[in-house]
Amino acid sequence: MNRFSGALDRLGRAVLAGVEEMGKIILLFVSVLAWMFRPPFKLHNIFKQMEFVGVKSIFVVVLTGTFTGMVMALQGYHGFRMFSAESLVGGTVALGMTRELGPVLTSLMVTARAGSAMAAELGTMRVTEQIDALYVMAANPVKHLIVPRVIAGVLMVPLLTVVSDFTGILGGYFVGVHILGINSGIFIKNITRLVDLNDIYNGLVKAACFGLILSLIGCYKGFNTYGGAEGVGRATTEAVVLASIAILISDYFLTAIMF
Amino acid sequence: MIKLVDLHKSFGRQKVLDGLDLDIEDGKTTVIIGRSGGGKSVLLKHMIGLLRPERGQILIDGTDITKLNDQALNEIRKKFGMLFQEAALFDSMTVGENVAFPLREHTRMKEKEIRETVADRLRSVGLTGVEEKMPSELSGGMRKRVGLARAIAMRPQIVLFDEPTTGLDPVMAEAINRLIIDTQKNLNLTCVVISHDVRSIFEIGHRIAMLYEGKIIENGTPEELRASQNPVTLQFLAGSIEGPIRIM
Amino acid sequence: MFSLSSEAKVGLFVLVGLIILGYMSVQVGKQSFGLKKGYTLEVVFDSAAGLDRDASVQIAGVEVGRVESIRLKDGKALVRLRIVPNVKLEKDAIASIKTHGILGDKYVEIYPGTHGEAYLAAGEQISRTERQADIDRLLHQLGLIADDVRGVTSSLNRVLAGQAGEEAITSILTNTKALTRNLNHVIVSNEAALRAALENTRQLTGNLNRVVTRNDEKVGQVIDTLKSASREMEKTFAALSEITGGVNRGEGTLGQLVKDKGTAEKLNQTLASLQEVTQKINEGRGSIGKLVNDDETVRNLNEGLTGLNRYVNKAEQFRTFLSYRGEYLFDKSNAKSYLDLRIQPKEDKFYILGVVSDPNGRRTTKDVTVGGVTTRTEEWDRDGLLFNAQIGKRYKDLVLRGGLLESTGGIGIDYLTLNDKLKLSFEAFGFGRDRRAHLKAGAEYRLFRHLYLSAGWDDFVSDQDNRSIYGGFSIRFEDEDLKYMLTTTPIPK
Repeated sequence: MNRFSGALDRLGRAVLAGVEEMGKIILLFVSVLAWMFRPPFKLHNIFKQMEFVGVKSIFVVVLTGTFTGMVMALQGYHGFRMFSAESLVGGTVALGMTRELGPVLTSLMVTARAGSAMAAELGTMRVTEQIDALYVMAANPVKHLIVPRVIAGVLMVPLLTVVSDFTGILGGYFVGVHILGINSGIFIKNITRLVDLNDIYNGLVKAACFGLILSLIGCYKGFNTYGGAEGVGRATTEAVVLASIAILISDYFLTAIMF
Repeated sequence: MIKLVDLHKSFGRQKVLDGLDLDIEDGKTTVIIGRSGGGKSVLLKHMIGLLRPERGQILIDGTDITKLNDQALNEIRKKFGMLFQEAALFDSMTVGENVAFPLREHTRMKEKEIRETVADRLRSVGLTGVEEKMPSELSGGMRKRVGLARAIAMRPQIVLFDEPTTGLDPVMAEAINRLIIDTQKNLNLTCVVISHDVRSIFEIGHRIAMLYEGKIIENGTPEELRASQNPVTLQFLAGSIEGPIRIM
Repeated sequence: MFSLSSEAKVGLFVLVGLIILGYMSVQVGKQSFGLKKGYTLEVVFDSAAGLDRDASVQIAGVEVGRVESIRLKDGKALVRLRIVPNVKLEKDAIASIKTHGILGDKYVEIYPGTHGEAYLAAGEQISRTERQADIDRLLHQLGLIADDVRGVTSSLNRVLAGQAGEEAITSILTNTKALTRNLNHVIVSNEAALRAALENTRQLTGNLNRVVTRNDEKVGQVIDTLKSASREMEKTFAALSEITGGVNRGEGTLGQLVKDKGTAEKLNQTLASLQEVTQKINEGRGSIGKLVNDDETVRNLNEGLTGLNRYVNKAEQFRTFLSYRGEYLFDKSNAKSYLDLRIQPKEDKFYILGVVSDPNGRRTTKDVTVGGVTTRTEEWDRDGLLFNAQIGKRYKDLVLRGGLLESTGGIGIDYLTLNDKLKLSFEAFGFGRDRRAHLKAGAEYRLFRHLYLSAGWDDFVSDQDNRSIYGGFSIRFEDEDLKYMLTTTPIPK
């Protein structure tokens, strides 16, 4: 009986902690919104973060995009061959990339690369009292540290998704046309036939949401770090795990709403 | 003038401040001594509003900062400078940018003026030509100097020092002590220093306060403290393991 | 080393990203805004299942357009195609819905028509479609075939597996019995269908009968008026034949009008048969005469309708219309109603039977001879009905008709235009010695499917002050509608 109530107790605490954390993240989002529109605007900070989140993620995004497109073409080909519908591979790759894999994989890669870095950077600043120093100098850390990162996330992830979509389709084209021998004209025709402008744009809207999620969670976890170097490590891990889960779950709901 | 009245603060079950009262005189250096982990840093963070007490008042020039909102608190904070334990320099910025940070944040100085002011502040802590260096390229002592330069960039009335000599070799510690004394004298600052470095205390402190079990148990000039018969103070100054201070 | 600021790097990245996005958008979006030019054509398919908007339209496998819209029209699919401007299609082009492969997308294939035919203009309809075996039907038929094959093989199996011939014969006999039973079943079920069809017809005539009996009194009146009308007609036709005789000889303006020998001959024939018809009516024989003997009439009508239906099934040309026309005579503040049944056995030939209620009523003249002096008195029966019985023939846009017009002999000419929406007509009847002929000119315009508006000038050469501008409307139903109305309208007993 005692053990049972203990388990209940732990379950309740876990749920409450989860809800509390979510509430805190939302509060952080609200204060980010509030500070975002309060001058002065430190454009240089934003550009630095955009460079870090966007420009420096290009390589990894191109890599994942290309190979995802390639493997989709390969897998799709074997499936479609059963129905003699190999020509649909192009459209399938393009549709899959623009709607789903482009935004999700890009966000996950950016989470791993930049979201974790945000958590680690802010975490280190927290444990080395740099955040306290900001407070002491009457400078708001949300404005100085979190706003530029969230802006960068929201703007750069969609842009990276465009790159990912494009290279994914290129990768699919390469495999489909040059390796599997699908007619290139039909391959491209099916892409333009099946993919709608809305597929691309909704994919980008999703990507922007994911960019918000990953930067917000990365910053939240870093900002609330405690416990020295170990704490920074923990915050980083938690940020990546939580952001990835949040991206995948919200992906479902965003898809349900949009498509 | 800083006046602390009946401060209470605890983390979890651990009581850190337990009805603490302390007056800090203007234009003097007050050193707060006490055990490691005894709540000295917590006390310091209360003074600048980084932590809020559960009970009690913190009066800065007569204003109780425990009741202030963020904006009003920021106005009070502009009177302060603080040198953190590890200097807390922003390691994404150069030394110059670090020192210029409060100037850029709160003044409308032109770039040229900022550059001149930064150079002046760095010179006043004995550094030249380090503006373009990154904090990670500096030694611990140099970092503290830069930290001090940043703390005094806005010409504050009060500067708080969180264990300024910890982690430094005796020579460097002595240099920092000198710097604190000189800066205090030159700028006529009110300084609050936290330390457990007994040698430094008597060198820089005009007044010395002993924090023990969440209260100030002694507060006086270095001479008064040296003559103190309080067993806790005696044991602390002597660095003895025999006495009322429990090791565990 | 060449180095860029953060701003420059981000700017470059944004630029490249936007260029890629723009390129992809244009590529993908091409189809939706690429084919705004070109013209549209319409096709009606029985089913457009699987066909989507923006599906391809092809000639010989070359894309020449897209499907612009698919809508339901009269239970069929109206598909609008947008064709590129430089492709022209002949009037007899054929459209069909086809499929790429087994599971591929549907598209519209067009077989261009014969070379030299006129081209279809924008907005016109491709009238010929070809039904395409779709997968469902194909599979269904395949399933039936498979069943048959299995039946054959299983019976074969039974025959071959039988050890003794007796068994084999027995099974063959069983099969045969089953077969004959099936055959019988087929016949029986067909018979039932046949019966049902007949039953429907009987119900229809039953309804008609009820309508007739319910309005017994009115029918009686109809008979009365018909009788006196026919008496009147005799005289009318004497006059008419006189006129036609004149026309025949080529006298008068009307004679000149029909001087062309072919027309005159046709008119002559028409009038001859008209005379025959009216003669019969006069004698109380023929269908109108029998119309009044209710039971027998109904039976005759029944048979007639059955034959009619058969005829309709064979050739869909046979059409019957029932129309009501109301005309308000402005100058006389009075209304005139027409109820006509128009039977059209061929596209260019029709008969009109009907009654007219004239506010003037029916005119009867009595010659009373008193002491060698004959006095003619005119009487007007205000409740009297007038009759229409006309035969007509259409030559392209011109319709010539003649016969009984408002219980007097007369002729009419109609000119149809605007896809038969507008009818201009001229009628001349009531030629009498004692008064001028009744001339009527008017126009009728089709507003909706069943509704027509009309206006004109009635009796405009009248010497009895009867001339009047009129305006009115008419409702016209085809027999399909009539049948439907009669069978669904509950008739109180």
